[in-house]
Amino acid sequence: MKPYEGLINRVYEIFSIVDSLPERISDEELEGLLHVLPADMRNTFGAFFAPHVRPISMELFGMVKKWLDGAHETKRSGGKVFLVPFNFLPEVIFCFEGAWPITSEVLSSLGVMALEGQGERYWDYAMGLGLPDFACSANMIEVGSALTESDFTPDAIISDCFGSCDINSKTHEFLARYMDIPLLFLEKTVDNGERGVKQYYKYFFKLAEEMEEFLGQELDEERMRRVIGNANKASELYWELWDLHKFKPCPVPNLFSLFTYAARFTMWGTEDAVRIMQTMVDTAKERLERGEYPADREVARSLWTYTSYYFDMGGLFNWMEDNGITHLGDGLDLYFPEVVDLTSRETMLTGLAEIARNMPMTRQMGANSMSVQWLDDVTWAAGELGADCCIYCGHHSCKQTWSSATVVRSELMKRQKIPTLILQGDSWIRRMTPMSALQESIEEFVKNVVKQR
Amino acid sequence: MRTLQCQSTDLFTEYVRDWKEKGGKVLGYACVATPVELIEAAGILPYRIKAFGHPDTELGDAYLARFNCRFCRSCLQLGLEGSYDFLDGLVETNGCDHLRGMFENWQHVKKYDFFHYLKVPHFLREDSLEYFVEELSLMRQAISEYFGVDITDEKIMRAVDIYDEVFAKLKKLYALREKVPPAVTGAEVMQVLCTGSSMMGEDFSAMLDEVLAEKAGASPPDYKARLIIMGSATDEVDLIADIESTGALIAADALCFGSRAFWKREGESADPMQLLAERYLGYLFCPRMFTEYERRRDYILETARRAGVDGAIITYNKFCDLHGVEAVSQRADLEAAGIPVLVLEKDYGSKADTGRIKTRVQAFLERLGK
Repeated sequence: MKPYEGLINRVYEIFSIVDSLPERISDEELEGLLHVLPADMRNTFGAFFAPHVRPISMELFGMVKKWLDGAHETKRSGGKVFLVPFNFLPEVIFCFEGAWPITSEVLSSLGVMALEGQGERYWDYAMGLGLPDFACSANMIEVGSALTESDFTPDAIISDCFGSCDINSKTHEFLARYMDIPLLFLEKTVDNGERGVKQYYKYFFKLAEEMEEFLGQELDEERMRRVIGNANKASELYWELWDLHKFKPCPVPNLFSLFTYAARFTMWGTEDAVRIMQTMVDTAKERLERGEYPADREVARSLWTYTSYYFDMGGLFNWMEDNGITHLGDGLDLYFPEVVDLTSRETMLTGLAEIARNMPMTRQMGANSMSVQWLDDVTWAAGELGADCCIYCGHHSCKQTWSSATVVRSELMKRQKIPTLILQGDSWIRRMTPMSALQESIEEFVKNVVKQR
Repeated sequence: MRTLQCQSTDLFTEYVRDWKEKGGKVLGYACVATPVELIEAAGILPYRIKAFGHPDTELGDAYLARFNCRFCRSCLQLGLEGSYDFLDGLVETNGCDHLRGMFENWQHVKKYDFFHYLKVPHFLREDSLEYFVEELSLMRQAISEYFGVDITDEKIMRAVDIYDEVFAKLKKLYALREKVPPAVTGAEVMQVLCTGSSMMGEDFSAMLDEVLAEKAGASPPDYKARLIIMGSATDEVDLIADIESTGALIAADALCFGSRAFWKREGESADPMQLLAERYLGYLFCPRMFTEYERRRDYILETARRAGVDGAIITYNKFCDLHGVEAVSQRADLEAAGIPVLVLEKDYGSKADTGRIKTRVQAFLERLGK
């Protein structure tokens, strides 16, 4: 594989187009653009450029471009780039000078959305090495590219999947050894009691020390305050957006669920993330004032209990809206961010530890009981947001959620009196279940179960 | 050995039945990270959950999913259908994601009055060891309070001594298998281990004396090639027997129903809780332990060399995340060390797989020139 064929490098090239796009793209220009894009990308870009989300999509693309720029710039200037999973806080890395996070699941998603072939070649490469076909594609698509050793190379990996996801923890361990780069880790104690939390904080502080040692610098309190201050602002905006979801019909476009965690998992702690969160809040408010909703009426309000599907954005998020099915968010939005006390290094690190403990997956699957914590969160969110149904995507690699899905479904029905549709498919790979089959299941569920209630 | 052959694939063995009839308590556990000494010190029988006799997994599938490993689904099936109703409680460990799911669903349905979750860190460091010591103390307290027994330091140290004896005898049994010609087969060794995992240490030790005496002068089984087997949790005596039926001898193993359960259990502390923590967290040769790959690799290579194997079989259950990823590195390292490898992904206990597995092993033996 040639260097330009690596996932990060290819995605970076694609996103460099963003700089050339006008700030406000017209329908005519869009049509022209979609014509030159490969078929795999057309649906995704078509979804992002739907009129009601177009301005913010442009802003999101800009943020992603900046994020990718940051990684390259950090490398060029001798800094360190960390490959992290989605449940690790990017703001921790931004607290250091000359350090930058790249998030494997986001990179995989970008590959799936933006590249011809949807990143399957990288998955295939990993399989060719003998890695199991039940690995998580969210991670393995990017990892497959890294394993080719032709792509942009991180300087270290931080994994905080220990305790909440075996397959990703093992994948990180494998990749670090294969690439011969350091693996820093943070285990989630599967214990939400006082002792478990204290131990988790201890591990978090230890990780911060290891990062200081690796980067050869101590955390600067002023820089921390600035970065975490930005994260605090974004967190406040998260809750504003959360509240806006409660209106019926929902004024928050379905895609904003994805946009929120795109910001959370990449640039949280920067002004860019604050800006995009603010734009989403403003957009939703305007839509609320104007009473805008894409369909004639809101037919169903769905909460996705874990991930959504990302291999065909237009095929899902906007299709749902067009059919009056609101996507109120998914499990990756369930991290309930808190505002961190900026008084001192100690308070800031403790605050970050607490937020890290509550990141999606870490919080639910790293709890004493996976099913109980997950159920509690989904029950609360469904009640708060007025969901009338839940959908479990059944991403085949999520063995932890699969092993709790039955309990969560039945208990959710008892507690909230709402049904859950259990689907089966790979959220990042189209080969498992085609989007049309998933849409059909959702349609039947809404028509025969949700609407009949 | 004939008795063993019957008992090793029986869940509610004569031994367990007798124990229960005498009023004894039984605690079920599934993972090799569970310190059985602590349970024994309470006068309770530690029973390692197995999945024998699992023709169907419909209940297991209803709670877990087809994407979970079938060993766990089979154990859950047996638990939900009542085969494990003789247990007086369960000890959960976070051995892997599938195992956690199995225990959660089992407890959700069966609601044992005694259910303890022993949280085992995924790495060995001073701070994680301290945490594990506390965890063991909580387990000690929970058993002590619920069953109304005093678990003294002396009782724990006595149990440690008994298990050291058991482990020493198991090593002798392994030596009988490793020697040329061997006096015992791989299937027989697994029968012994499975049977022993449902016995009190003292009785297992006595049984091992009999086995060792019987086997010391046993006539060697014929074989074409000596193999080491490693991989995910399996109590499948039949699998080993099927492999050996092709002319292979499983001369060594790195299985958790095998050598990984006992080969190294060392500790220096005089404090029993600290000692147990060192013995377990310090020597869990399981891919659940992160950043310890090199230790596991060295252990496997050392075992393979000692047994003079011609090749290795890495076997794991479909959907086993830990061993599925680990197998890639293991294969590469074994091959680099000059040991040919067969990677066998399989479904736990599936009779439908028998023919395929035998064919693959036969082909592997041919590859070895045997």
